[in-house]
Amino acid sequence: MTKPMAKAISRRDRLRADFDRSFAEPVRSHDTEHVELLVIRAGGRPYAISLSQTSGLHPDRPVTPLPGPQPALLGLAGFAGQVVPVYDLAALLGHPVGERPRWLVLAAGTPALGLAFHDLDGHVRVANADIVREADDSGATGSVRGMVELPGGVRPIIDVPATRATVHALTGHDRSNDEEAAR
Amino acid sequence: MADRDPLRYFRIEAAELVDQISAGVLDLDQQPGTEVVARLLRYAHTLKGAARVVKQPEIAERAHAFEEVLVPHRDDDAPLPADEMRELLRLNDEIAGRVAALNQSQDPEAIVRGSPAPQPQVPPPTPPEPAALPAHEPEPAAPPEKPGPSERPSGSAAASDGGTPPERAPTADLDELLDAIGEATSRIAPLREGSRTLAGIHRRVETLGDRLRTGRVAVSDTVARSSVQRLAADLGALGRRLIDAVDQVERELDEVRGRAEGLRLVPAGTIFTALRRAVRDAADAEGKRVRFHTTGADVRMGPQLLNQVSGAFLHVVRNAVVHGIEPAEQRVAAGKPAEGSVTVQVKRRGRWAEFRCTDDGRGFDLAALRRTAQDRGLLSPGAAPDPRTLIDLVLRGGISTSPSVTDVAGRGIGMDVARDVADQLGGTVSIDNRPGQGATVQLVVPLTLLSMNGLLVETGEHTVTMPLDAVRRCVRLTPEETAAAMDTGRLAHEGRVVPFLPLCRALRQDAELTGTGVAIVLTADRETAAIGVDRLAGTTTLVARPLPDLAPAAPVIGSVSIDLDGNPRLVLDPHGLIAEARQVGPKSAGAAADTDQRQLPILVVDDSLTTRMLERSILESAGYEVDLAASGEEGLERARAREYGLILTDIDMPGIDGFTFVAETRADPRLAHVPAILVSSRASAEDRRRGNEVGASAYVVKGEFNQEELLAHIRRLILR
Repeated sequence: MTKPMAKAISRRDRLRADFDRSFAEPVRSHDTEHVELLVIRAGGRPYAISLSQTSGLHPDRPVTPLPGPQPALLGLAGFAGQVVPVYDLAALLGHPVGERPRWLVLAAGTPALGLAFHDLDGHVRVANADIVREADDSGATGSVRGMVELPGGVRPIIDVPATRATVHALTGHDRSNDEEAAR
Repeated sequence: MADRDPLRYFRIEAAELVDQISAGVLDLDQQPGTEVVARLLRYAHTLKGAARVVKQPEIAERAHAFEEVLVPHRDDDAPLPADEMRELLRLNDEIAGRVAALNQSQDPEAIVRGSPAPQPQVPPPTPPEPAALPAHEPEPAAPPEKPGPSERPSGSAAASDGGTPPERAPTADLDELLDAIGEATSRIAPLREGSRTLAGIHRRVETLGDRLRTGRVAVSDTVARSSVQRLAADLGALGRRLIDAVDQVERELDEVRGRAEGLRLVPAGTIFTALRRAVRDAADAEGKRVRFHTTGADVRMGPQLLNQVSGAFLHVVRNAVVHGIEPAEQRVAAGKPAEGSVTVQVKRRGRWAEFRCTDDGRGFDLAALRRTAQDRGLLSPGAAPDPRTLIDLVLRGGISTSPSVTDVAGRGIGMDVARDVADQLGGTVSIDNRPGQGATVQLVVPLTLLSMNGLLVETGEHTVTMPLDAVRRCVRLTPEETAAAMDTGRLAHEGRVVPFLPLCRALRQDAELTGTGVAIVLTADRETAAIGVDRLAGTTTLVARPLPDLAPAAPVIGSVSIDLDGNPRLVLDPHGLIAEARQVGPKSAGAAADTDQRQLPILVVDDSLTTRMLERSILESAGYEVDLAASGEEGLERARAREYGLILTDIDMPGIDGFTFVAETRADPRLAHVPAILVSSRASAEDRRRGNEVGASAYVVKGEFNQEELLAHIRRLILR
């Protein structure tokens, strides 16, 4: 093989790898002025979730129902050999429990936790400035932290760590081992 | 690099031989005979030859010396003299140590001390070669069997971490795995045959299409019609064959996966050699004769867990010999056989593994325990504690920390290690003391990974697994029998009546069992119950793992496995099922299910009539049943008299206030699980904090009283 040819091939391979990687890499904010949000509906109501607080979005994942004391616990789903409990976001938010949700996001952090919701309206990137935060976050309870104005109206933003803390509290999970919940 | 390693195969072979020699020496000690001698000579000779080939003269010399000791006893059934026995054990340890050293020097990452746990108090009578315990040698030849990260205990397993667990897939398991793979492969043949048939059908369709295009069909429409009919029939038959074949392939692959996963687990018997050696050494040092028995060698579990338990049990068996078994003359005087007995039993109980060490010695010295406890101020001088209290002190480590090593304290150290291991693994340790008769130490630990045979059962739309070892038999039920069992909650089985629990009800499914069904008769803890399912779907080999964190489940669920599609499949817990079947009972069967499906009522506690009525109307219009109480005291009384799904309480009330009321309910085990919401006109952060502190699940301010917010809290908290 001639030298220029080899060079061209290696360049082609590099470009191809870069191209592939750009798709393989998780979407994340590349700057601090913007936030990536999933625009969703849970229990028929509009919400948004920060993409950076999740580690995966999955449609139509089979969930094995698990009988037990937690009505919000839909069941267990398998992810690459790992068994993950899946909670219904609508139930955690206090909405009446309706049909089974179709989508689920994996919450960042440990232990593994899936949060299921009904509809995915889209994925948006908004300026930090467009997010309305509560004046004082310290007294905040529940899963919602702040709002965002989007076409079609204002949406509450579901904070994944706060939602995780709710689940930990519901299940009596020992928080001392867990940084997120110890906030 | 491994290819150029001249010791590569020797390491594997030598490790195997050392294991066999170690076990053989102990056999010889307990059951002398020419057969054992011949076996040992064979192993030692093989090892000597192999060691010479790879230029390991130290190992070869010791194997030779080992042979020299044995040769005179080749035709001799009598036990070996004690000094010769000791020499064999010494050589065995040296060989094992050198073979272990070979393995360690080869792979820097595999440098581990074979010693499974700190062994402070009993100095081994043989040279200090802790790495020589044969069952704990590093095994470089088996990297694929290393436990996966998922099964490593996540907590601080430091005490015994670093000891490479006994792991070597016995050949029989590999054979079974290969058989299962062969079986799965053979199921591919019908698929291949089917694809040929499909190709034939394709050709015929094309021919027919051609004839249609060229108009030659006009010759006779009936020819075309019958041709299409034949094609349809062939396609139908092919479809059925393919479905059958795919089903079978799937089942076989499931079996393959289960067996392959099972290879990650090791049989409990792998720790027996080390335990037997510990008993032997301790008996030798004490001048006692002790017979060692084991049961449950086939129970399989994660190597890490087994390793930790092994570390603790080395102390437990040693203690049984040193402190439990009496000298021969005392035993004879007490009417016992001169030879003591120590038995280690391993059993699987649902998702737990039970390790028991039973000796027939003198039991714990309660008088000495009492004295030590009183000296250390653990008991008041005049107190007359019952034996159980004293034994509990040993387990809590209160006595063992004694600086003076007495018999009691010595025994306590072993108990400490056992208790530490139990704590680390989330298990329990208990002692059954029979003064003068012996003692049993029992360690029960939860299994992380467990290989089992399961019966796949279907109920409603779900397939779940029943551990096969609890199943006594399966009985087909006619629709009439099903209906009768559902109505009465009982089933006549082999001349007696056993409780009957439909699985759909145990799993809180909406569907009910109707028509023909199958009753699975289970036995666990000597209790029997029948579980009703729609149908059986075959058996399977599976590896069960514990339920993940954040997934509280009903007691009827024991663990979870992963099916062929990667989805979780529930594994039932026979103990939980039997308990539920007995609890539900005949009459209340329907009622209990109703309570589960219906909402539990809500209790409203408020001294203001207006608030009570307002809250009642909100809740009742949302479909809840409501009871009222006008004070905290009345609230407590009502809460204890009836099961509620939720309690709403005011803070400012005459008598006990809302904070106290919530705190009292949290402290009452019968009420602690019922969520409580504080509803108050107080809005300060301090009050919210107090509410949180006493254990309220939510805090709603009356001033900003918002029906939706209240109902949202309730829906989140209450059982549907």
